[in-house]
Amino acid sequence: MRLSEVQKYFKDTMLDHPKVLDTPPEDFAELFNVGDIPLPERLKVYRNNIIGSLTDVMIASHPLLEKLVGHEFLELMARSFVLENPPTHGCLNMYGAGFDKFIESYELAKALPYLADMAKLEIAMNEAYHAPEDEPLKANELATASPEDLQLKLRQNVQLVSSRYPLDKIRNFCIEDDPDKTMSVDSGGVKMMIYRPELDSVIVKLEDGEYEMLLALNQGVGLNEAVETTLNAHKGFGFQEFLQRHIELETFLALKTNT
Amino acid sequence: MSVHLKQNEPKPNPFPPASPPRDPVGIGLRHPYYEEVTNSPPNVGWLEVHPENYFGGGAHRHFLSKAREKYQLSLHAVGLSLGSTDPVSEEHLRQFKELIDIYQPFNVSDHASWSASGNAHLNDLLPLPYTKESLDTLCRNVERTQEYFGRTMLVENPSTYVAFAENEMSEHEFMNRLSEKTGCGILLDINNIFVQSHNHGLDPFEYIDGIDSSKVGEMHLAGHIEQEVGDGIILIDTHSRPVKKDVWDLYEHAVRRLGSVPTLIEWDQDFPPLSKLVEEANKARDIMNRILNKDITNAAE
Ligand SMILES: [Fe+2]
Repeated sequence: MRLSEVQKYFKDTMLDHPKVLDTPPEDFAELFNVGDIPLPERLKVYRNNIIGSLTDVMIASHPLLEKLVGHEFLELMARSFVLENPPTHGCLNMYGAGFDKFIESYELAKALPYLADMAKLEIAMNEAYHAPEDEPLKANELATASPEDLQLKLRQNVQLVSSRYPLDKIRNFCIEDDPDKTMSVDSGGVKMMIYRPELDSVIVKLEDGEYEMLLALNQGVGLNEAVETTLNAHKGFGFQEFLQRHIELETFLALKTNT
Repeated sequence: MSVHLKQNEPKPNPFPPASPPRDPVGIGLRHPYYEEVTNSPPNVGWLEVHPENYFGGGAHRHFLSKAREKYQLSLHAVGLSLGSTDPVSEEHLRQFKELIDIYQPFNVSDHASWSASGNAHLNDLLPLPYTKESLDTLCRNVERTQEYFGRTMLVENPSTYVAFAENEMSEHEFMNRLSEKTGCGILLDINNIFVQSHNHGLDPFEYIDGIDSSKVGEMHLAGHIEQEVGDGIILIDTHSRPVKKDVWDLYEHAVRRLGSVPTLIEWDQDFPPLSKLVEEANKARDIMNRILNKDITNAAE
Protein backbone atom coordinates (compact mmCIF):
# COMPACT_ATOMS: atom_id res chain seq x y z
CA MET A 1 0.00 0.00 0.00
CA ARG A 2 1.29 3.46 -0.87
CA LEU A 3 2.00 5.81 2.05
CA SER A 4 -0.82 8.16 0.99
CA GLU A 5 -3.24 5.22 1.10
CA VAL A 6 -1.94 4.08 4.48
CA GLN A 7 -2.49 7.57 5.86
CA LYS A 8 -5.98 7.86 4.43
CA TYR A 9 -6.93 4.42 5.72
CA PHE A 10 -5.53 5.24 9.18
CA LYS A 11 -7.37 8.58 9.31
CA ASP A 12 -10.67 7.05 8.17
CA THR A 13 -10.34 4.28 10.75
CA MET A 14 -9.69 6.80 13.52
CA LEU A 15 -12.81 8.79 12.64
CA ASP A 16 -14.95 5.70 12.13
CA HIS A 17 -17.24 4.07 14.68
CA PRO A 18 -15.15 3.04 17.74
CA LYS A 19 -16.29 -0.58 17.29
CA VAL A 20 -14.21 -0.81 14.10
CA LEU A 21 -11.09 -0.71 16.28
CA ASP A 22 -12.16 -3.85 18.14
CA THR A 23 -12.04 -5.91 14.97
CA PRO A 24 -10.12 -3.95 12.37
CA PRO A 25 -10.49 -5.09 8.74
CA GLU A 26 -7.92 -7.70 7.80
CA ASP A 27 -6.08 -5.59 5.22
CA PHE A 28 -5.73 -2.85 7.84
CA ALA A 29 -4.54 -5.21 10.59
CA GLU A 30 -1.95 -6.64 8.21
CA LEU A 31 -0.20 -3.29 8.08
CA PHE A 32 1.13 -3.77 11.61
CA ASN A 33 3.35 -6.02 13.71
CA VAL A 34 1.74 -6.35 17.09
CA GLY A 35 3.81 -8.46 19.54
CA ASP A 36 2.14 -9.11 22.90
CA ILE A 37 -0.05 -6.00 23.02
CA PRO A 38 -3.18 -6.59 20.89
CA LEU A 39 -3.72 -4.26 17.92
CA PRO A 40 -7.07 -2.84 19.11
CA GLU A 41 -5.44 -1.64 22.34
CA ARG A 42 -2.67 0.01 20.35
CA LEU A 43 -5.06 1.72 17.96
CA LYS A 44 -7.25 2.92 20.81
CA VAL A 45 -4.36 4.96 22.21
CA TYR A 46 -4.31 6.95 18.98
CA ARG A 47 -8.07 7.28 18.83
CA ASN A 48 -8.28 8.42 22.45
CA ASN A 49 -5.50 10.95 21.88
CA ILE A 50 -7.13 12.36 18.76
CA ILE A 51 -10.74 12.50 19.88
CA GLY A 52 -9.87 13.23 23.50
CA SER A 53 -7.54 16.15 22.76
CA LEU A 54 -9.95 17.75 20.29
CA THR A 55 -12.87 17.27 22.67
CA ASP A 56 -10.78 18.91 25.40
CA VAL A 57 -10.10 21.88 23.15
CA MET A 58 -13.85 22.27 22.65
CA ILE A 59 -14.61 21.94 26.37
CA ALA A 60 -11.92 24.46 27.30
CA SER A 61 -13.39 27.10 24.99
CA HIS A 62 -16.95 26.63 26.30
CA PRO A 63 -16.86 27.20 30.08
CA LEU A 64 -20.37 28.71 30.03
CA LEU A 65 -21.89 25.72 28.25
CA GLU A 66 -20.14 23.50 30.78
CA LYS A 67 -21.89 25.39 33.59
CA LEU A 68 -25.24 25.17 31.83
CA VAL A 69 -25.30 21.51 30.84
CA GLY A 70 -22.53 19.95 32.94
CA HIS A 71 -19.24 18.41 31.91
CA GLU A 72 -20.60 15.07 30.73
CA PHE A 73 -23.25 16.42 28.41
CA LEU A 74 -20.88 19.01 26.93
CA GLU A 75 -18.33 16.26 26.39
CA LEU A 76 -20.91 14.15 24.59
CA MET A 77 -21.89 17.02 22.29
CA ALA A 78 -18.28 18.08 21.70
CA ARG A 79 -17.23 14.51 20.89
CA SER A 80 -19.98 14.17 18.26
CA PHE A 81 -19.02 17.54 16.84
CA VAL A 82 -15.34 16.52 16.63
CA LEU A 83 -16.13 13.29 14.80
CA GLU A 84 -18.24 15.11 12.23
CA ASN A 85 -16.01 18.17 11.97
CA PRO A 86 -12.34 17.28 12.43
CA PRO A 87 -10.00 20.29 12.15
CA THR A 88 -8.90 21.21 8.65
CA HIS A 89 -5.53 22.66 9.59
CA GLY A 90 -2.84 22.45 12.23
CA CYS A 91 -3.75 25.48 14.32
CA LEU A 92 -6.59 24.97 16.77
CA ASN A 93 -7.01 28.51 18.13
CA MET A 94 -10.23 28.94 16.20
CA TYR A 95 -11.30 25.30 16.18
CA GLY A 96 -15.00 24.89 16.95
CA ALA A 97 -16.52 27.46 14.60
CA GLY A 98 -19.88 26.01 13.64
CA PHE A 99 -20.49 24.42 17.05
CA ASP A 100 -23.54 26.70 17.48
CA LYS A 101 -25.06 25.40 14.22
CA PHE A 102 -24.26 21.86 15.29
CA ILE A 103 -26.04 22.34 18.62
CA GLU A 104 -29.07 23.84 16.87
CA SER A 105 -29.68 20.52 15.14
CA TYR A 106 -28.47 18.32 17.99
CA GLU A 107 -31.43 16.19 18.99
CA LEU A 108 -30.53 15.87 22.70
CA ALA A 109 -30.24 19.65 23.11
CA LYS A 110 -33.62 20.50 21.60
CA ALA A 111 -35.09 21.26 25.05
CA LEU A 112 -32.53 24.04 25.57
CA PRO A 113 -33.08 26.38 22.63
CA TYR A 114 -30.75 29.11 24.01
CA LEU A 115 -27.77 26.74 24.07
CA ALA A 116 -26.76 27.32 20.45
CA ASP A 117 -26.68 31.09 21.01
CA MET A 118 -24.59 30.66 24.15
CA ALA A 119 -22.14 28.66 22.01
CA LYS A 120 -22.15 31.52 19.50
CA LEU A 121 -21.26 33.92 22.32
CA GLU A 122 -18.35 31.74 23.46
CA ILE A 123 -17.07 31.33 19.89
CA ALA A 124 -17.15 35.13 19.53
CA MET A 125 -15.24 35.53 22.81
CA ASN A 126 -12.62 33.07 21.60
CA GLU A 127 -12.28 34.81 18.23
CA ALA A 128 -11.90 38.18 19.93
CA TYR A 129 -9.19 36.71 22.17
CA HIS A 130 -7.18 35.30 19.27
CA ALA A 131 -7.65 38.16 16.80
CA PRO A 132 -4.53 39.96 15.59
CA GLU A 133 -3.39 43.20 17.14
CA ASP A 134 -4.38 46.32 15.24
CA GLU A 135 -4.51 50.06 15.80
CA PRO A 136 -7.72 51.73 17.01
CA LEU A 137 -9.11 54.92 15.54
CA LYS A 138 -8.50 57.72 18.04
CA ALA A 139 -10.37 61.01 18.36
CA ASN A 140 -7.45 63.10 17.10
CA GLU A 141 -7.12 61.06 13.92
CA LEU A 142 -10.85 61.34 13.35
CA ALA A 143 -10.71 65.12 13.82
CA THR A 144 -8.16 65.52 11.03
CA ALA A 145 -9.91 63.15 8.58
CA SER A 146 -11.86 64.71 5.71
CA PRO A 147 -15.55 63.80 6.08
CA GLU A 148 -15.95 62.77 2.40
CA ASP A 149 -13.51 59.89 2.56
CA LEU A 150 -14.24 58.87 6.11
CA GLN A 151 -14.98 55.14 6.11
CA LEU A 152 -15.31 53.39 9.44
CA LYS A 153 -14.16 49.80 9.70
CA LEU A 154 -14.35 47.58 12.75
CA ARG A 155 -11.19 46.24 14.37
CA GLN A 156 -10.43 42.58 13.79
CA ASN A 157 -11.21 41.65 17.38
CA VAL A 158 -14.76 43.04 17.22
CA GLN A 159 -17.53 40.43 17.06
CA LEU A 160 -21.27 41.11 16.92
CA VAL A 161 -23.82 38.74 18.44
CA SER A 162 -27.59 39.01 18.71
CA SER A 163 -30.04 36.57 20.24
CA ARG A 164 -33.68 36.24 21.21
CA TYR A 165 -32.41 35.09 24.59
CA PRO A 166 -30.80 37.24 27.30
CA LEU A 167 -27.30 35.82 26.78
CA ASP A 168 -25.70 38.42 29.04
CA LYS A 169 -28.00 37.49 31.94
CA ILE A 170 -27.51 33.79 31.30
CA ARG A 171 -23.77 34.38 31.36
CA ASN A 172 -23.95 36.23 34.69
CA PHE A 173 -26.10 33.43 36.01
CA CYS A 174 -23.38 30.94 35.05
CA ILE A 175 -20.65 33.03 36.61
CA GLU A 176 -22.57 33.53 39.88
CA ASP A 177 -22.98 29.76 39.95
CA ASP A 178 -25.52 29.79 42.80
CA PRO A 179 -27.26 26.39 42.95
CA ASP A 180 -30.28 27.89 44.77
CA LYS A 181 -31.01 30.39 42.00
CA THR A 182 -33.12 29.95 38.90
CA MET A 183 -33.69 32.36 36.03
CA SER A 184 -36.11 32.85 33.19
CA VAL A 185 -34.62 32.70 29.71
CA ASP A 186 -37.68 34.42 28.22
CA SER A 187 -37.05 37.93 29.49
CA GLY A 188 -36.21 39.22 26.00
CA GLY A 189 -33.23 39.12 23.66
CA VAL A 190 -29.96 40.99 23.60
CA LYS A 191 -27.57 42.54 21.08
CA MET A 192 -23.94 42.85 21.92
CA MET A 193 -20.42 43.49 20.84
CA ILE A 194 -17.60 41.25 22.03
CA TYR A 195 -14.12 42.65 21.70
CA ARG A 196 -10.67 42.71 23.26
CA PRO A 197 -9.73 46.16 24.55
CA GLU A 198 -6.68 44.75 26.35
CA LEU A 199 -5.87 41.14 27.20
CA ASP A 200 -9.33 39.70 27.76
CA SER A 201 -12.50 39.54 25.72
CA VAL A 202 -15.17 41.92 26.99
CA ILE A 203 -18.92 42.13 26.34
CA VAL A 204 -20.65 45.43 25.60
CA LYS A 205 -24.45 45.56 25.39
CA LEU A 206 -25.74 47.47 22.37
CA GLU A 207 -28.91 49.42 21.53
CA ASP A 208 -30.76 48.07 18.50
CA GLY A 209 -29.75 50.98 16.26
CA GLU A 210 -26.18 50.83 17.41
CA TYR A 211 -26.07 47.12 16.56
CA GLU A 212 -27.58 47.68 13.09
CA MET A 213 -25.04 50.40 12.41
CA LEU A 214 -22.06 48.28 13.45
CA LEU A 215 -23.38 45.33 11.49
CA ALA A 216 -23.72 47.48 8.34
CA LEU A 217 -20.19 48.86 8.76
CA ASN A 218 -18.87 45.35 9.30
CA GLN A 219 -20.48 44.27 6.05
CA GLY A 220 -18.65 47.06 4.25
CA VAL A 221 -21.65 49.32 3.70
CA GLY A 222 -20.62 52.96 3.08
CA LEU A 223 -20.89 55.32 6.04
CA ASN A 224 -23.69 57.53 4.67
CA GLU A 225 -25.75 54.60 3.54
CA ALA A 226 -25.28 52.82 6.86
CA VAL A 227 -26.45 55.88 8.80
CA GLU A 228 -29.45 56.24 6.51
CA THR A 229 -30.55 52.63 6.79
CA THR A 230 -30.08 52.66 10.53
CA LEU A 231 -32.09 55.88 10.92
CA ASN A 232 -34.91 54.46 8.80
CA ALA A 233 -35.26 51.46 11.05
CA HIS A 234 -34.45 53.10 14.38
CA LYS A 235 -35.76 56.64 14.73
CA GLY A 236 -33.94 57.28 17.98
CA PHE A 237 -30.48 56.52 16.58
CA GLY A 238 -28.01 59.36 17.09
CA PHE A 239 -24.89 59.14 14.97
CA GLN A 240 -22.79 61.64 16.93
CA GLU A 241 -23.49 59.83 20.17
CA PHE A 242 -22.72 56.50 18.48
CA LEU A 243 -19.45 57.81 17.09
CA GLN A 244 -18.28 59.23 20.39
CA ARG A 245 -19.10 56.07 22.31
CA HIS A 246 -17.28 53.81 19.87
CA ILE A 247 -14.25 56.06 19.61
CA GLU A 248 -14.03 55.77 23.38
CA LEU A 249 -14.48 52.01 23.27
CA GLU A 250 -11.88 51.81 20.47
CA THR A 251 -14.18 49.80 18.20
CA PHE A 252 -12.89 51.18 14.89
CA LEU A 253 -9.71 50.53 13.00
CA ALA A 254 -7.28 53.43 12.64
CA LEU A 255 -7.83 55.15 9.29
CA LYS A 256 -4.14 55.10 8.37
CA THR A 257 -4.11 51.28 8.44
CA ASN A 258 -7.46 50.70 6.80
CA THR A 259 -6.96 51.77 3.20
CA MET B 1 -9.61 29.85 7.25
CA SER B 2 -10.90 32.76 9.28
CA VAL B 3 -8.88 35.39 11.01
CA HIS B 4 -5.51 33.95 10.05
CA LEU B 5 -5.53 35.56 6.67
CA LYS B 6 -6.53 39.05 7.74
CA GLN B 7 -3.96 41.74 7.19
CA ASN B 8 -3.16 45.03 8.89
CA GLU B 9 -1.17 43.46 11.65
CA PRO B 10 1.56 45.80 12.84
CA LYS B 11 4.89 44.01 12.84
CA PRO B 12 6.56 44.44 16.22
CA ASN B 13 10.31 44.94 16.24
CA PRO B 14 12.09 41.60 16.38
CA PHE B 15 14.00 40.52 19.43
CA PRO B 16 17.78 40.29 19.22
CA PRO B 17 19.16 37.20 17.45
CA ALA B 18 19.20 34.04 19.52
CA SER B 19 22.24 32.79 21.34
CA PRO B 20 22.45 29.24 22.69
CA PRO B 21 21.16 29.27 26.28
CA ARG B 22 23.96 29.23 28.86
CA ASP B 23 21.89 27.09 31.19
CA PRO B 24 20.95 24.09 29.02
CA VAL B 25 17.73 23.19 30.87
CA GLY B 26 14.37 24.65 29.85
CA ILE B 27 10.67 24.24 30.58
CA GLY B 28 7.49 24.57 28.50
CA LEU B 29 5.65 27.87 28.83
CA ARG B 30 1.94 27.08 28.95
CA HIS B 31 -1.15 29.17 29.63
CA PRO B 32 -1.44 28.42 33.41
CA TYR B 33 2.12 29.69 33.93
CA TYR B 34 1.90 32.95 31.97
CA GLU B 35 1.49 35.28 34.96
CA GLU B 36 4.02 33.57 37.20
CA VAL B 37 6.73 33.14 34.58
CA THR B 38 6.49 36.74 33.43
CA ASN B 39 6.16 38.23 36.94
CA SER B 40 8.72 36.15 38.83
CA PRO B 41 10.89 34.38 36.24
CA PRO B 42 12.00 30.95 37.48
CA ASN B 43 15.62 29.86 37.43
CA VAL B 44 15.70 27.92 34.16
CA GLY B 45 17.77 28.46 31.04
CA TRP B 46 15.12 28.80 28.36
CA LEU B 47 11.47 28.34 27.44
CA GLU B 48 9.69 26.25 24.85
CA VAL B 49 6.32 27.04 23.25
CA HIS B 50 4.16 25.59 20.51
CA PRO B 51 4.11 28.26 17.78
CA GLU B 52 0.57 27.23 16.75
CA ASN B 53 -0.81 28.76 19.96
CA TYR B 54 0.45 32.17 18.81
CA PHE B 55 -0.66 32.09 15.18
CA GLY B 56 -2.62 35.07 13.97
CA GLY B 57 -1.66 37.33 16.88
CA GLY B 58 -3.99 37.58 19.84
CA ALA B 59 -3.63 38.08 23.55
CA HIS B 60 -1.22 35.14 24.07
CA ARG B 61 1.50 37.04 22.26
CA HIS B 62 1.60 39.64 25.00
CA PHE B 63 2.92 37.00 27.40
CA LEU B 64 5.24 35.45 24.86
CA SER B 65 6.86 38.83 24.27
CA LYS B 66 7.30 39.42 28.00
CA ALA B 67 8.79 35.94 28.39
CA ARG B 68 11.16 36.44 25.45
CA GLU B 69 12.58 39.55 27.09
CA LYS B 70 13.97 37.31 29.83
CA TYR B 71 14.60 33.97 28.10
CA GLN B 72 15.85 32.32 24.95
CA LEU B 73 13.08 30.49 23.15
CA SER B 74 12.62 27.17 21.35
CA LEU B 75 9.67 27.09 18.93
CA HIS B 76 8.42 23.51 18.93
CA ALA B 77 5.67 22.94 16.37
CA VAL B 78 3.07 20.20 16.42
CA GLY B 79 1.13 21.09 13.27
CA LEU B 80 3.41 20.99 10.21
CA SER B 81 2.58 17.32 9.61
CA LEU B 82 6.01 16.76 8.06
CA GLY B 83 5.36 13.08 7.36
CA SER B 84 2.18 13.61 5.32
CA THR B 85 2.24 12.75 1.63
CA ASP B 86 0.39 16.07 1.21
CA PRO B 87 2.84 19.00 1.02
CA VAL B 88 3.32 21.21 4.09
CA SER B 89 0.68 23.94 4.33
CA GLU B 90 2.00 27.26 3.00
CA GLU B 91 -0.22 29.14 5.43
CA HIS B 92 1.25 27.18 8.35
CA LEU B 93 4.76 27.98 7.11
CA ARG B 94 3.90 31.66 6.74
CA GLN B 95 2.50 31.95 10.26
CA PHE B 96 5.42 30.02 11.74
CA LYS B 97 7.99 32.14 9.89
CA GLU B 98 6.37 35.30 11.16
CA LEU B 99 6.96 34.10 14.73
CA ILE B 100 10.55 33.09 13.94
CA ASP B 101 11.21 36.56 12.53
CA ILE B 102 9.78 38.29 15.59
CA TYR B 103 10.89 36.02 18.42
CA GLN B 104 14.28 34.81 17.11
CA PRO B 105 14.24 31.32 18.64
CA PHE B 106 17.48 29.40 19.13
CA ASN B 107 15.76 26.21 17.96
CA VAL B 108 12.87 25.48 15.58
CA SER B 109 11.38 21.99 15.46
CA ASP B 110 8.53 19.58 14.67
CA HIS B 111 8.13 15.79 14.56
CA ALA B 112 8.88 12.76 12.38
CA SER B 113 5.18 11.95 12.16
CA TRP B 114 2.07 12.98 10.29
CA SER B 115 -1.31 14.51 11.31
CA ALA B 116 -3.07 15.49 8.11
CA SER B 117 -4.63 13.39 5.41
CA GLY B 118 -6.92 14.94 2.85
CA ASN B 119 -8.63 17.87 4.54
CA ALA B 120 -8.63 16.39 8.05
CA HIS B 121 -5.94 17.44 10.50
CA LEU B 122 -6.07 15.02 13.42
CA ASN B 123 -4.01 16.96 15.97
CA ASP B 124 -1.89 13.96 16.94
CA LEU B 125 1.58 12.68 16.08
CA LEU B 126 0.68 9.69 13.94
CA PRO B 127 3.12 6.90 13.07
CA LEU B 128 5.09 6.43 9.87
CA PRO B 129 6.29 3.15 8.45
CA TYR B 130 10.09 3.33 8.44
CA THR B 131 10.51 2.86 4.72
CA LYS B 132 12.31 4.55 1.87
CA GLU B 133 8.99 6.05 0.73
CA SER B 134 8.33 7.62 4.14
CA LEU B 135 11.88 8.89 4.33
CA ASP B 136 11.58 10.58 0.92
CA THR B 137 8.25 12.12 1.91
CA LEU B 138 9.59 13.44 5.20
CA CYS B 139 12.79 14.71 3.55
CA ARG B 140 10.77 16.60 0.94
CA ASN B 141 8.69 18.37 3.60
CA VAL B 142 11.65 19.09 5.88
CA GLU B 143 13.60 20.52 2.94
CA ARG B 144 10.66 22.70 1.95
CA THR B 145 10.32 23.95 5.53
CA GLN B 146 14.03 24.69 5.93
CA GLU B 147 14.08 26.48 2.60
CA TYR B 148 11.07 28.60 3.62
CA PHE B 149 12.59 29.46 6.99
CA GLY B 150 16.08 30.01 5.63
CA ARG B 151 17.53 27.93 8.46
CA THR B 152 17.85 24.34 9.59
CA MET B 153 15.32 22.78 11.92
CA LEU B 154 15.25 19.91 14.39
CA VAL B 155 12.98 16.89 13.91
CA GLU B 156 11.80 14.88 16.90
CA ASN B 157 11.32 11.13 17.28
CA PRO B 158 7.67 10.50 18.28
CA SER B 159 6.12 8.11 20.78
CA THR B 160 4.56 5.26 18.84
CA TYR B 161 1.98 2.62 19.70
CA VAL B 162 2.04 0.60 16.48
CA ALA B 163 4.93 -0.66 14.39
CA PHE B 164 4.49 -1.26 10.66
CA ALA B 165 5.05 -4.70 9.17
CA GLU B 166 6.80 -3.20 6.17
CA ASN B 167 9.47 -1.36 8.23
CA GLU B 168 12.75 -1.44 6.33
CA MET B 169 14.93 0.11 9.04
CA SER B 170 14.95 0.92 12.74
CA GLU B 171 13.63 4.27 13.93
CA HIS B 172 17.05 5.58 14.92
CA GLU B 173 18.41 4.65 11.51
CA PHE B 174 15.44 6.47 9.95
CA MET B 175 16.21 9.56 12.04
CA ASN B 176 19.92 9.43 11.14
CA ARG B 177 19.16 9.18 7.44
CA LEU B 178 16.67 12.04 7.62
CA SER B 179 19.29 14.21 9.25
CA GLU B 180 21.97 13.16 6.79
CA LYS B 181 19.80 13.86 3.75
CA THR B 182 18.28 17.19 4.79
CA GLY B 183 20.88 18.62 7.13
CA CYS B 184 18.24 18.91 9.85
CA GLY B 185 19.17 18.26 13.46
CA ILE B 186 17.64 15.59 15.68
CA LEU B 187 15.47 16.46 18.64
CA LEU B 188 15.93 13.39 20.79
CA ASP B 189 12.96 12.77 23.08
CA ILE B 190 14.27 10.40 25.74
CA ASN B 191 10.82 9.60 27.08
CA ASN B 192 9.54 8.84 23.58
CA ILE B 193 12.44 6.45 23.05
CA PHE B 194 11.59 4.70 26.30
CA VAL B 195 7.85 4.53 25.49
CA GLN B 196 8.22 3.23 21.94
CA SER B 197 10.98 0.77 22.91
CA HIS B 198 8.74 -0.74 25.58
CA ASN B 199 5.71 -0.84 23.28
CA HIS B 200 7.63 -2.62 20.54
CA GLY B 201 9.94 -4.77 22.67
CA LEU B 202 13.13 -2.91 21.71
CA ASP B 203 16.21 -1.81 23.66
CA PRO B 204 16.17 1.97 24.37
CA PHE B 205 19.88 2.05 25.17
CA GLU B 206 20.70 0.58 21.79
CA TYR B 207 18.59 3.35 20.23
CA ILE B 208 20.64 6.04 21.98
CA ASP B 209 23.88 4.31 21.04
CA GLY B 210 22.76 4.15 17.41
CA ILE B 211 21.83 7.80 16.98
CA ASP B 212 24.29 10.08 15.20
CA SER B 213 25.55 12.03 18.21
CA SER B 214 26.77 15.00 16.18
CA LYS B 215 23.22 15.77 15.04
CA VAL B 216 21.35 16.03 18.34
CA GLY B 217 20.37 19.67 18.99
CA GLU B 218 17.87 19.27 21.82
CA MET B 219 16.54 16.60 24.17
CA HIS B 220 13.10 16.16 25.73
CA LEU B 221 12.07 14.65 29.04
CA ALA B 222 8.47 13.99 30.04
CA GLY B 223 6.22 11.75 32.07
CA HIS B 224 4.20 8.86 30.70
CA ILE B 225 1.56 6.51 32.10
CA GLU B 226 1.33 2.73 32.16
CA GLN B 227 -1.89 1.10 31.05
CA GLU B 228 -2.65 -2.58 31.59
CA VAL B 229 -3.91 -4.34 28.48
CA GLY B 230 -4.60 -8.06 28.73
CA ASP B 231 -1.42 -9.59 30.12
CA GLY B 232 0.79 -6.74 29.08
CA ILE B 233 1.36 -3.04 29.70
CA ILE B 234 1.28 -0.32 27.10
CA LEU B 235 3.07 2.94 27.84
CA ILE B 236 1.32 6.15 26.84
CA ASP B 237 3.17 9.44 26.43
CA THR B 238 0.93 11.90 28.28
CA HIS B 239 3.22 14.74 29.44
CA SER B 240 1.11 14.73 32.58
CA ARG B 241 3.47 13.25 35.18
CA PRO B 242 6.99 13.61 36.59
CA VAL B 243 9.75 11.93 34.57
CA LYS B 244 9.99 8.22 35.52
CA LYS B 245 13.10 6.73 37.13
CA ASP B 246 13.81 4.53 34.08
CA VAL B 247 13.68 7.58 31.84
CA TRP B 248 16.11 9.48 34.08
CA ASP B 249 18.47 6.49 33.80
CA LEU B 250 18.18 6.58 30.04
CA TYR B 251 18.81 10.33 30.11
CA GLU B 252 22.03 9.76 32.08
CA HIS B 253 23.12 7.37 29.37
CA ALA B 254 22.27 9.95 26.70
CA VAL B 255 24.19 12.72 28.50
CA ARG B 256 27.18 10.43 28.84
CA ARG B 257 27.13 9.91 25.09
CA LEU B 258 25.97 13.31 23.83
CA GLY B 259 27.34 15.76 26.40
CA SER B 260 25.61 19.01 27.25
CA VAL B 261 22.56 19.35 25.00
CA PRO B 262 19.66 21.79 25.67
CA THR B 263 17.09 19.69 27.54
CA LEU B 264 13.39 20.42 27.96
CA ILE B 265 10.99 19.31 30.68
CA GLU B 266 7.65 18.84 28.89
CA TRP B 267 4.34 19.08 30.71
CA ASP B 268 1.11 19.53 28.75
CA GLN B 269 -1.81 18.39 30.89
CA ASP B 270 -2.72 18.04 34.59
CA PHE B 271 -0.46 21.00 35.22
CA PRO B 272 1.33 21.01 38.59
CA PRO B 273 2.59 24.18 40.31
CA LEU B 274 5.40 25.80 38.33
CA SER B 275 7.81 24.87 41.12
CA LYS B 276 7.37 21.19 40.18
CA LEU B 277 8.62 21.85 36.64
CA VAL B 278 11.55 23.80 38.04
CA GLU B 279 12.32 20.88 40.36
CA GLU B 280 12.39 18.50 37.38
CA ALA B 281 14.59 20.95 35.49
CA ASN B 282 16.98 21.05 38.45
CA LYS B 283 17.20 17.27 38.39
CA ALA B 284 18.17 17.30 34.72
CA ARG B 285 20.79 19.97 35.36
CA ASP B 286 22.22 18.03 38.31
CA ILE B 287 22.54 14.95 36.13
CA MET B 288 24.34 16.89 33.44
CA ASN B 289 26.70 18.49 35.95
CA ARG B 290 27.46 15.19 37.63
CA ILE B 291 27.92 13.11 34.48
CA LEU B 292 29.95 15.69 32.61
CA ASN B 293 32.28 16.42 35.52
CA LYS B 294 32.85 12.72 35.91
CA ASP B 295 33.57 12.39 32.22
CA ILE B 296 35.96 15.32 32.37
CA THR B 297 37.77 13.71 35.28
CA ASN B 298 37.97 10.44 33.40
CA ALA B 299 39.32 12.19 30.34
CA ALA B 300 42.03 13.93 32.41
CA GLU B 301 43.33 10.68 33.88
FE1 LIG C 1 8.80 15.73 22.96
